Amino acid sequence: MPDGLPDAAIACDGVWQVFGNQPRQRLAEALNKAGGDAHAVAGILSDAGLIAAVRDATFEVADGELFVIMGLSGSGKSTIIRCISRLIEATAGSVLIDGEDILAASQKRMTELRRDKLGMVFQHFGLFPHMTVAENVAFPLKMQGQGAKPRRARAEEVIELVGLQGRENSFPRELSGGQRQRVGIARSLAVNPDIWFLDEPFSALDPLIRRQLQDEFLKIQATLKKSIVFITHDIAEALKLADRIAIMRDGEIVQIGTPAEIVLNPVDGYVREFSRDVAKGQHATLGSVMTPLTGAERFSGESKLRTSMTLDDALASCVLDYEPVPVCDGDGNIVGVVHPSALAAALQTSETA
Amino acid sequence: MKSTLTGLSPGARAALIALTVGALCLAFGPRIPWLLEWPSSLTVPATDWIGAGLTWFIEGIKPAARVLSAALAYPMGWANVLFVSTPWPLMIGVVMATGWHLGGWSMAALGLAGLSFVLASGYWVESMNTLALVAVSVPLALIAGLAIGILANEVPSMKRAVQVVLDVMQTVPTFAYLTPLLLLFGFGPVVGLIASAIYAAPPMARNVILGLERVEPEIKEAAIMSGGARWQQLFLVEIPTAATQIMVGVNQCLMAALSMVIIAAVIGGFEDIGWEVLLTMRKAQFGQALLAGLVIVVFAIVIDRMSGALATERRRHDRRVTWAILGLTMLVTLVTWSWLPEAGQISLLAPVADGVDAGLSEFTKANGAALDSVKNGAMFYLLLPLRIGLDEAVLPFTWGFQWTANMSLIFFALSLVIGIAFSFSGRLTAGAMVVVFAGMIETGIANLPWPFVLAGAGALGWVAGGRRLAAFAMGALALILLSGLWDRSMLSLYLSGAAVFACAVVGGLLGLSAAVSPMAWRVLRPVCDMLQTIPLFVFLIPVLMFFQIGEFSAFLAICAYAIVPMIRYTRHGLVTTPPELLEAAVASGATPWQIMWEVRAPYAAPTILLGLNQTILYAFAMLVIAALIGTTGLGQSIYLALSEADVGLGIAAGAAMAILALVADRLVQGFAEERRAALGL
Ligand SMILES: Nc1ncnc2c1ncn2[C@@H]1O[C@H](COP(=O)(O)OP(=O)(O)OP(=O)(O)O)[C@@H](O)[C@H]1O
Ligand SMILES: [Mg+2]
Repeated sequence: MPDGLPDAAIACDGVWQVFGNQPRQRLAEALNKAGGDAHAVAGILSDAGLIAAVRDATFEVADGELFVIMGLSGSGKSTIIRCISRLIEATAGSVLIDGEDILAASQKRMTELRRDKLGMVFQHFGLFPHMTVAENVAFPLKMQGQGAKPRRARAEEVIELVGLQGRENSFPRELSGGQRQRVGIARSLAVNPDIWFLDEPFSALDPLIRRQLQDEFLKIQATLKKSIVFITHDIAEALKLADRIAIMRDGEIVQIGTPAEIVLNPVDGYVREFSRDVAKGQHATLGSVMTPLTGAERFSGESKLRTSMTLDDALASCVLDYEPVPVCDGDGNIVGVVHPSALAAALQTSETA
Repeated sequence: MKSTLTGLSPGARAALIALTVGALCLAFGPRIPWLLEWPSSLTVPATDWIGAGLTWFIEGIKPAARVLSAALAYPMGWANVLFVSTPWPLMIGVVMATGWHLGGWSMAALGLAGLSFVLASGYWVESMNTLALVAVSVPLALIAGLAIGILANEVPSMKRAVQVVLDVMQTVPTFAYLTPLLLLFGFGPVVGLIASAIYAAPPMARNVILGLERVEPEIKEAAIMSGGARWQQLFLVEIPTAATQIMVGVNQCLMAALSMVIIAAVIGGFEDIGWEVLLTMRKAQFGQALLAGLVIVVFAIVIDRMSGALATERRRHDRRVTWAILGLTMLVTLVTWSWLPEAGQISLLAPVADGVDAGLSEFTKANGAALDSVKNGAMFYLLLPLRIGLDEAVLPFTWGFQWTANMSLIFFALSLVIGIAFSFSGRLTAGAMVVVFAGMIETGIANLPWPFVLAGAGALGWVAGGRRLAAFAMGALALILLSGLWDRSMLSLYLSGAAVFACAVVGGLLGLSAAVSPMAWRVLRPVCDMLQTIPLFVFLIPVLMFFQIGEFSAFLAICAYAIVPMIRYTRHGLVTTPPELLEAAVASGATPWQIMWEVRAPYAAPTILLGLNQTILYAFAMLVIAALIGTTGLGQSIYLALSEADVGLGIAAGAAMAILALVADRLVQGFAEERRAALGL
């Protein structure tokens, strides 16, 4: 898995983040003692009074992928993106960004990367209290060495994008929580980063603005195709935005999968709990429950069902059928079948379980 | 012994240990003299050694120091010319414009009123001399403080060391700095300048460290992620974010520099306002001393309020007004140039001072008996017994009878009965403490046997912070014992202890009343603000006026200075109980007084202890200044060393003082910490 896709924007392999005294040494000892079992290692560390905030995290984010991390409060989400952006030094493991070993990079190289390539929106915004909104947003540009005029112009552009025009000269303390969050988003957008870390970027917003920004966000993503790591608590948001979702518990990544996989095939009760209130039929597509063609079946005529249909829509169009129904891909070729009863069962299990 | 002790609370064990050691000393003291008096054959001539070492060191760096002092003479000369020869209307205009810029009309008015008073007092030139010194020393202190703060922030391994040094510097008495500086730089204003820069740098450094520490991690991270180089992160983000705290540092730095410049006047050589106070005080011209003292207070208030405005959120005031004020005063100066009186010749308030002087002598003549009886009463019935014990202080001449050995026995038996009664009702610690205190009063603090002091400090340290603190307290005191400064230290301990006790009782009550009644706080608050702004030195004037030189005057001066933190912290602790706790108490049906004792007081305990801690440090700081008007003990030694340029004695006594203050500081902080932990804070 680690050295899989050659075009991975981010590749983490066996990343540990341990807080406490002499974390490196203690972790090495514990790994020696317990072998590969991350759970046992964490147990040994916590007995010694250390906190293993991230445990043996291994995953990749493909170029242009929107990768969402979910998990309960304190499960290590913020910590993991701090490791990747090297705001803190990972205790063990390796992190590659575009194939470059970040943990071995010099300070100078890191500064370059941050100036040109990486962007981050902070959970608590991290706005500079002594700078106006415009100065905050333009700060990364200033670090790049841009002149005052182009800085200002670019800052106004992104401030408009997040809907804060007219507040350019306000100070952060004069803004509401949601407005501050948008300043944070605008600041990280200013330099147009290739790789973008967002730590609960929409959490302080009202539902209306949130939806608006999510749509704006998807639009940006559709055209610019950044590689994004996005942290959220909101499963609906995750399902709406994500290409893939990783679920964390107590520092461990327990499952990584597409939204449909997470909703339909949770690996355990913890993951299932996340998607409990989700109307499965609206999120899972037919493609994820159909049986691929074996080649033996023969169907005549045309099928109404498409792999990209949601389960709800599919069920509505074949409630009266008792036979397996063929499923077509986008070009109209039959690629699989689905039995209506299997369709109903898929919805059923995920709801009662 | 051990097995019976293990079932007890640490407090009770500590009290019992102290009690046992004390009792043993009392019982065997008469037969084993070294129990009561540390044998002088076992002391090392620390004073001489330190003196020799320091003299050698000073001789080594003296050439460099003299070069520095010569170099500093230039900016000092310029500042002096600038301040003294600027025409006074223009100076007033500059101060008003600064006031306007910092805080609007009220500050401008404060500046005008303050400087007008200075002008009318006739001490304009002396004041400008003082200001010139402050103006040169403060930038030095600010730069040094900032550099130290940044160093501690950037090099984490240095941080602890820096903080220890800052702690020690805060506890070393101001006069103790002066002696070595005197030898290094020679007589003259440069010593005052450097002493004030050294004294004023730590508050700046402390606040820089604190401010940088408190910058939210996410703000720092945002600066990193923006791709700032380290210096860009520091100067463009972290320091501006910490600006408010750093401005608090600037304010404290200014006040410390002013205070020290005035104290440094004792070495003379410069016609400044501190010297004026000292001179008039020596000549017993109290009216003039009071006037000069008031000039210092006015300066302190103007500087404090204006620089304090830096640290608070402020509106931007119209620049045009600033320039208008400057232009206008410039114009006035030019127009009136030819007939403007010299600032030195104005002394509108001299008659008032003379009047006060005359009135005062009238008053003391008329009420001398009453004042004396107050003084003697406090001396004979409170201070003296505390110092040398009932057994020596109770004499026929004052108390009307002679304390006898039998009385001692009865006294002890009584305390023992009370103590036992306490322990039977389950309060063993309190019982043991009663007996310990009875023993201390009977013996007198200055006469306490050294094993008892060591054991007591160790026991307190053990309860407050465990073994390490106990070892620190005993080790530090043992150093004093070895140095041969023990007797003097105990005298200092007695006077500051008495003052701290008085401050704790009176200040605690005042703080309580301020917490209960907003009206009381409205009265007390400006008084506290005032007392806190007044430079140490000025406290001596009023007590001298009424009670002459002597221990009682020193006691009063210490109390006046040291009581403020006790009042403030007590009130603050009591009024900041979380509202949900109070609501819960009210909902449980507690009366206001029950809430005060059951909820507010325990919750406030750590804060009040911190106030006590500040009071102790203030008391030690003032103790040395009070040596000017007659105290015995370390303060006197330090002052003596200054006048005889005896570095060894000055530094050794200063170190002993610092040790006492540090031990007290750590003990009280330990208790505060323990209370906080008990409350889960
Ligand atoms: N600097 C630190 N020192 C010690 N422990 C830390 C530190 N930073 C984080 N932790 C611990 O690591 C764990 C993970 O924290 P993290 O901030 O990553 O959680 P999170 O998943 O982002 O939670 P939330 O959703 O509440 O933001 C927590 O138990 C936290 O207490
Ligand atoms: Mg987080």
